[in-house]
Amino acid sequence: MSDPSSINGGTAVAMVGKDCIAIASDMRLGSQSLGVSNNFEKIFNYDNVYFALTGLASDVLTVSEEFRMKTNLYKMKEERIMEPETFANLVSSSLYERRFGPWFVGPIVAGINSKTNKPFICGFDSIGCIDFAKDFIVSGTASDQLFGICEALYEPNMESEDLFECISQSLLNAADRDALSGWGAVVYIVTKDKVIKRYLKSRQD
Amino acid sequence: MDIVLGIRLKDATLIATSKAFTRGISILKDSDDKTLNLNKKNVIAITGESGDTINFAEYIKGNVQLKGLREGHEMESDEIASFVRHELARSLRSRSPYQVNLLVAGVNDKEEGFLSMIDYIGTRCDLPYAAHGYAAFYTMSLLDHHYREDISLDDGLKLLKLCEEELNKRMPMDFKGLNVKIVDKEGIKVIDF
Amino acid sequence: MSRRYDSRTTIFSPEGRLYQVEYALEAIAHAGTTLAILSPKEGIVLLAERKIISKLLESSSNSEKIYKINDQTIVSVAGLTADAEILIDRMRNDCQQYLKIYNKLPNTMQVVNKVCDFKQGYTQFGGLRPFGVSFLFAGYDSLNGFQLYSSNPSGNYSGWLATSIGENSSSVQTLLKQELNANSTESHNDITLDDALKIALKVLSKTSDNTHLSADKLELASLSLQSNTNKPTIKLYTPKEIDNLLNLHDLSKKEEE
Repeated sequence: MSDPSSINGGTAVAMVGKDCIAIASDMRLGSQSLGVSNNFEKIFNYDNVYFALTGLASDVLTVSEEFRMKTNLYKMKEERIMEPETFANLVSSSLYERRFGPWFVGPIVAGINSKTNKPFICGFDSIGCIDFAKDFIVSGTASDQLFGICEALYEPNMESEDLFECISQSLLNAADRDALSGWGAVVYIVTKDKVIKRYLKSRQD
Repeated sequence: MDIVLGIRLKDATLIATSKAFTRGISILKDSDDKTLNLNKKNVIAITGESGDTINFAEYIKGNVQLKGLREGHEMESDEIASFVRHELARSLRSRSPYQVNLLVAGVNDKEEGFLSMIDYIGTRCDLPYAAHGYAAFYTMSLLDHHYREDISLDDGLKLLKLCEEELNKRMPMDFKGLNVKIVDKEGIKVIDF
Repeated sequence: MSRRYDSRTTIFSPEGRLYQVEYALEAIAHAGTTLAILSPKEGIVLLAERKIISKLLESSSNSEKIYKINDQTIVSVAGLTADAEILIDRMRNDCQQYLKIYNKLPNTMQVVNKVCDFKQGYTQFGGLRPFGVSFLFAGYDSLNGFQLYSSNPSGNYSGWLATSIGENSSSVQTLLKQELNANSTESHNDITLDDALKIALKVLSKTSDNTHLSADKLELASLSLQSNTNKPTIKLYTPKEIDNLLNLHDLSKKEEE
């Protein structure tokens, strides 16, 4: 009940397709059982990196602002953008810095490397242990439900439109089985030279 | 059990707070004001631990005024909300965190209403209408039902009245009525309610 | 005798001067020229000339005179590059820290003011050497639009329509004054960014010690508003683009006397 990671609720998922990735989150922000906002997006974008954060909403904001700062400074000092793999390692070390007083977040990184065009996704625990995955990563209060449905619906090498359908159905159906997730959803489909952002209508209860 | 409510209109924001000042089971005062004007176009309503509320509100006000003075123009609503959130998120991980929940109400530089809800954890959410604590449980359904994007001032006040009636009916304690403030491009006014 | 007042920044000379600060200014007077022209409606042009270039030098980055501070501010440097990097790092960090707290970038004036306070500290405290750096700041903010400031080692700063720092800066300024008067029959307000660019190149070509202007000796950047989004955008010109501009304005060779 007073577990910081499930006060506000919320969930996110990322998937790899054929030369593309997708990342999606719900839009609910709650205070225990009370829904407060249906407009709280949990995916942040730093150039070609897409970063989802579930968990304690305060830390979601703090951590997203922290990485906005770090990527901005990196970009100016290095005169290039940060690649998803690099960003993942930055997230890991930054979270581990707080080993004994962690940010209560479940981050997901997704993106396409601008040099090699290779899709990349990975997830983390709250102290920065990286979970590299070839297929999908789930996070948040509906992560159990997401594991199940993603395992059922996912297949390798989907084209971007199929990937969109797969990730959307996975998220929507998982969120419907979680009282703390839902209230709208947002999906990013990222290919080498195009990004599509779509909002999903979902149950408002 | 303190009540803070806010409703955002097109070009103004309404804010209402309960007048009862309580300690334990006693009501010590029936003319408490839980709001503080930060500058010409921004006000906060604040509840929580009684020492913390005033101390934190004054701290925010001090900083908002100082920044306004230094830079020769007043701080905007969203800057204030960001600043307040930042301070609370920082305080949460300190030795003695501020235990305060607040609403930031104002009009922004485009003269649109602005309302932001921030709790002691540092959760910030910009909303069309908001309430903290138990009052939220009783008023949210009314606000969900009656609120419109283009709601007028009159209808906003009527909606607030509806909320007050519901609270009077359902809250276990007499909260001694509501203090209502309206913020628009002319400034902050206390209104008879 | 004069040694007594030279060695420490914290001490006034009997004539009321701070020698170390003046020496720092002198260091800047020998640095590569940089100039800027403000087009109040369209943006700002920064142009800088690199001092020494050896064909053998492998430069670590594309720019050593012009730096981005944040999405709406660029600076050009005259003076010790090593000193400048310290200040630039600081400015970038300060801006990002500010962005974290207020979710908004600081106004140009605040950026300038903050770094100048820091510079000033080194003219007063603890036997430290002042920063041997002057800056030209080109910035945009929603409050005051496009702004151009210059700063120097003492921590003073001032706003300009067009100005220059570094070697030959006084003659550049004289020329700028002439060119800008000649160019705009009306007020400076109506000067376009393209005009500003042209004048900047022209003025530098006249005052430069080099016989030719060429891309490998120049750095050029502009700050303007994106036409579709109205957001500030920074353009750092590549050597090739600079060459094209020089050819376009017929400045690749110095005019015959």
